[in-house]
Amino acid sequence: MVERSVHVSNRNGLHARPAAEIVKAAARFRSDITIVRDDLEVNGKSIMGVMMLAAEYGSELLLRADGSDEEDAVSAIAKLIESKFGES
Amino acid sequence: MDRALTGIPASPGIVVGPVHLLRWEVPDVPTHIIPDDAIPAELERYRAAVERAKERLAGVRDRAAAQAGPEEAAIFDVQISMLEDRDLANQVESYIRQNLAAEKAFDVVLHEWRARFAHHASPMMRERVGDLTDIHIRLLSILIGLPDHDPVDVPKGTKAILVTHDLTPSLTVQLDRDAIAGIATDAGTRTAHVAILARSLGLPAVVGLRDATLRLAGGENAVLDGSTGTLVVNPTDAEVAVFQHRAEREERDEAELRLLATAEPVTTDGERIVLRANVDLPEESPQAATSGAEGVGLMRTEFLVVGRTTMPDEEEQYRAYRRVVEAFNGRPVVIRTFDIGGDKLPAGGFPHEANPFLGWRAIRMCLDESDLFKVQLRALLRAGLHGDVRIMLPLVVTIDEVRSARQLLDEAAAELEERNVPFQRNLPLGVMIETPAAAMCADVFAKEVAFFSIGTNDLVQYTLAVDRGNVNLAARFTPLHPAVLRLVKHTVDVGRAAGLEVAVCGEMASQPVMVFALIGLGVRQLSVAPRAVPLVKHIIRGISAELAVEAATAAIASDNAAGAERQLAGRLRAAFGDASFLGDGLLVS
Repeated sequence: MVERSVHVSNRNGLHARPAAEIVKAAARFRSDITIVRDDLEVNGKSIMGVMMLAAEYGSELLLRADGSDEEDAVSAIAKLIESKFGES
Repeated sequence: MDRALTGIPASPGIVVGPVHLLRWEVPDVPTHIIPDDAIPAELERYRAAVERAKERLAGVRDRAAAQAGPEEAAIFDVQISMLEDRDLANQVESYIRQNLAAEKAFDVVLHEWRARFAHHASPMMRERVGDLTDIHIRLLSILIGLPDHDPVDVPKGTKAILVTHDLTPSLTVQLDRDAIAGIATDAGTRTAHVAILARSLGLPAVVGLRDATLRLAGGENAVLDGSTGTLVVNPTDAEVAVFQHRAEREERDEAELRLLATAEPVTTDGERIVLRANVDLPEESPQAATSGAEGVGLMRTEFLVVGRTTMPDEEEQYRAYRRVVEAFNGRPVVIRTFDIGGDKLPAGGFPHEANPFLGWRAIRMCLDESDLFKVQLRALLRAGLHGDVRIMLPLVVTIDEVRSARQLLDEAAAELEERNVPFQRNLPLGVMIETPAAAMCADVFAKEVAFFSIGTNDLVQYTLAVDRGNVNLAARFTPLHPAVLRLVKHTVDVGRAAGLEVAVCGEMASQPVMVFALIGLGVRQLSVAPRAVPLVKHIIRGISAELAVEAATAAIASDNAAGAERQLAGRLRAAFGDASFLGDGLLVS
């Protein structure tokens, strides 16, 4: 199992479109992916779950992957969030 | 069936074309239990429906992207992702395995999800309820075998009349003016935002038809008359000829009025009135500029936001404001900060408040969400370099709101300075007077703001405690109630004594009888829809301020709205005789 924490750095937060991008990225990996914010844990492959995080600008998330490609999964999703999804 | 359906005239113009019926409501789903051996086939049926819905959405997305742009189309990608959600599918499939038919299983799960989203503490989540509702309707329509025609599917050149219960923002995004020539809705009133949007797009519209979607099958030929508020189904050739004749006459009258574009709005006894235009979308500014308006008295910025999945950033807002400012070439452009909330929410969401019009909206929301507000303020400060920009705050009730907004404006300026971005300092800051609280305390505001603008729609709504969106209350929604007239007069008197400009920018400023009343109450600045500019100018040039004062004085002393209307209408008729424009839709009923 691999864990890594990231900050949401785009101004609009994880609204619908970034949530859709995260889910799309997560779907490419075989590992189970969980995203944690405070005491809420959601499935990183579910857009409903990711949106439920209501992660606004500046919030801290913990990414967790468990499986054969856990290392790659965590780093791909962290990179996506850190890239601000092409927003400011 | 009675072939002529009567509603409320919302946007003028006459159009003949086929009915495009859009039933965009969650259908009722009866509980249907399936036997165990039918479960595998039912799972397949559900999965096939999801695939079909995704295909449809991809098509809608591509066409919306071509017509409205990729930002507007993104909403449909989100809906596709929602349909692909494994958690959602697992829940639905688990209900199917418990012998529920696919449509009931999906219905139950979607009701649960919508409730969770609707009651979420984060507005970001609440905004998504509209998308869940959209996929709820779309998938159920496929499973039950209801027609699912998106307005975006109407081929170009059809010139159809879109008939729907209510025009939601996600439907609005799909409107293609080459395909849809008119709009008719069951819900809504003259001042509902579908009406304002239709007027700004120049599409004829009738609202408040109550049950048109139930009485039509779709595909019928029909005449929509937005000037009288009628929808005639399967018209005879003779009827079509009558409507076409009327349409030609309206066009002729309008052409005559357009000749007034260059005339000065001055009363017969020499009172000069400043006449400006209301603008909702930057695209409308060229039309507004050629209508003869002397600037923009109200730019409603929330239309930059409605129907989107994200807020427009500083750059996008700056470009939109700059476009309007440049179209008016140095003439004043009054830009109202976001009036979001009430019935106008970003991204198709709806408010989960018992009383949205008394709720967290407009300046209240902007002050609480100061990051979002400062993006707009920075864009406005930057647009100020290109002309005469004035900032207007909506729905103020206390001077504290003005002070907080001014502080945020200073912060926004400091942020631009830090980034070395050029901007205009000291833009005039004014307020909308649209609550009784602001009108009664006009003297307090007068000390700290640059101008007043009276918003008649909200002032009427809040003074008379009448919801302006409620069809059953339409007759009670009248700006001629003496209480409203007195508040307007008080505001004008206080503002003028303090040397402030006092404008009226509501929809009602474009009705002849209201123009007459407002001038009589001392108003010297009006802002109306671009289309109404020539007519209002014509009214101004046909009356004397002296007669208007006499009429308004009598109106304000009346017992009730009907009495006030008699005082005004009688004198207005005396001034104009039986001019045709006084005939239709002149009086506020």
